[in-house]
Amino acid sequence: MILLKNVTKYYNTTNGKNYILKNVTMMLPRKNIGILGRNGAGKSTLLRMLGQIEFPTEGSIYSSCSFSWPLGLGGGFIPNMSAKDNVKFVCRVHNKNEEETRQIVKDVREFCEIGEYFDMPMRTYSSGMKSRVGFGLSLSFDFDYLLIDESLSVGDTRFKDKAKEALENKVNKCNVLMVSHSESMLKSMCDIGLLVHEGQLFYFDDIEDALKEYRKIIKKAA
Amino acid sequence: MKKQKGWQKQKTVLDALFLRELKARFTSGQAGLFWTFFQPFFMVFLFVTMHVIMHGSDTNSNSAIEYGIFIALSFTSFFLFRDLLTKSSGAFRANKALFIYRQVKPIDTLIARLMVESFIMGVVILGFVILAVYFDLISPPKNLIMVTLGYLWLTIFGFGIGLIIAVANTFYDVVGKIVGFLNLPLLFLSALFYSIESIAKTNPEAAQMLLYNPIVHFMEMIHGFYFYDLDDRYVDYNYMALWTATTLFIGLWLYINLERKIVSTS
Repeated sequence: MILLKNVTKYYNTTNGKNYILKNVTMMLPRKNIGILGRNGAGKSTLLRMLGQIEFPTEGSIYSSCSFSWPLGLGGGFIPNMSAKDNVKFVCRVHNKNEEETRQIVKDVREFCEIGEYFDMPMRTYSSGMKSRVGFGLSLSFDFDYLLIDESLSVGDTRFKDKAKEALENKVNKCNVLMVSHSESMLKSMCDIGLLVHEGQLFYFDDIEDALKEYRKIIKKAA
Repeated sequence: MKKQKGWQKQKTVLDALFLRELKARFTSGQAGLFWTFFQPFFMVFLFVTMHVIMHGSDTNSNSAIEYGIFIALSFTSFFLFRDLLTKSSGAFRANKALFIYRQVKPIDTLIARLMVESFIMGVVILGFVILAVYFDLISPPKNLIMVTLGYLWLTIFGFGIGLIIAVANTFYDVVGKIVGFLNLPLLFLSALFYSIESIAKTNPEAAQMLLYNPIVHFMEMIHGFYFYDLDDRYVDYNYMALWTATTLFIGLWLYINLERKIVSTS
């Protein structure tokens, strides 16, 4: 359960305040949630606020659940370190002991299938390789909510299938909060939908309805 | 997942960051690391050689040893302070990718760098002690506790200034460049190669001017408590405390107010 209470978020731009959310109060049930919206509507900002690395300008967000870090396009890694060292670091930060860390390193190495690149600095990686590591890593931790920000859209077909399968297994144990432009992904993973549009947050009990409304907005803009 | 509270969580993060920073220092560019350790020894060697050449006839081996220790104290403490400042300035920028893990607070990256710099300088000082023992150049300090206190106090002062620089550099990257620029004049104006006493004898006004530089007081304190024929008569402890408290206060105030902004700009 997530409670948003009078949440307002804006960014200062050259043309004044750009509102992402305007006084939104909402209770979100513990289900798999898909977040929709046009580019720049504030989907990622909403995800980052739930991950507590971005903060509402006014109001607050309450939840007793644990959230993963927002899993984006290969963020969260130090480019001069290898994937192995980065994974070790994240394990240490999350207070894993030596043995758990070794297991996670092994799991991620197997999952991401990037061969000897795993021991090379991550600045040499392509964005697809980075998101493979990031995705594999996040699956190794237990959170109540997995925050996923488009990170599955870069992989090749084989990896996408593998990631989807792994995610479906994971969803038995945790919930996802997902930003995606892929309708099939949203339909297969999410139960309910949120639509971010012009400072408003719309809630839909069924992801299908959210997608329908989203298509309407896109059409209107075109 | 095991839930940790407050300082325990921070300790976990600091341990992880310390190991990361240390590893980064040891693996990226062997030349840089070599220079970090070698520079103080090289400087001492250079200055002692110059001292011997300049004072040619009237030097005895004792004065060269004393001078060597004087310079070693100067450079270990000054380089520690300098490295704290320069490494602090990039701490938030270099680690911003890690702020997506909400446990990692920007100030942790700064403390981790402070720990790494102190550790490296600790190793260098140990190197000097081993050299001194090996070549039988021992001249024990007058008051080891006060000398150590001087180093520790300088580290805290460095942290205060480093915090201000780190915050400012996150928003204006010119700050880091200015800090790099100030290193050279500070090298000459911080009583590293001379004592204030020796300046005051010939030019009391210049000595007064130099005493406005807080680092001079730290140097005088460290030198004064090491050598039997020097003392801390020019050290103004209130002045040092004022600088330390003010910079810490400003640094922490800036940081507390801007922490969220620093995290979000990542």
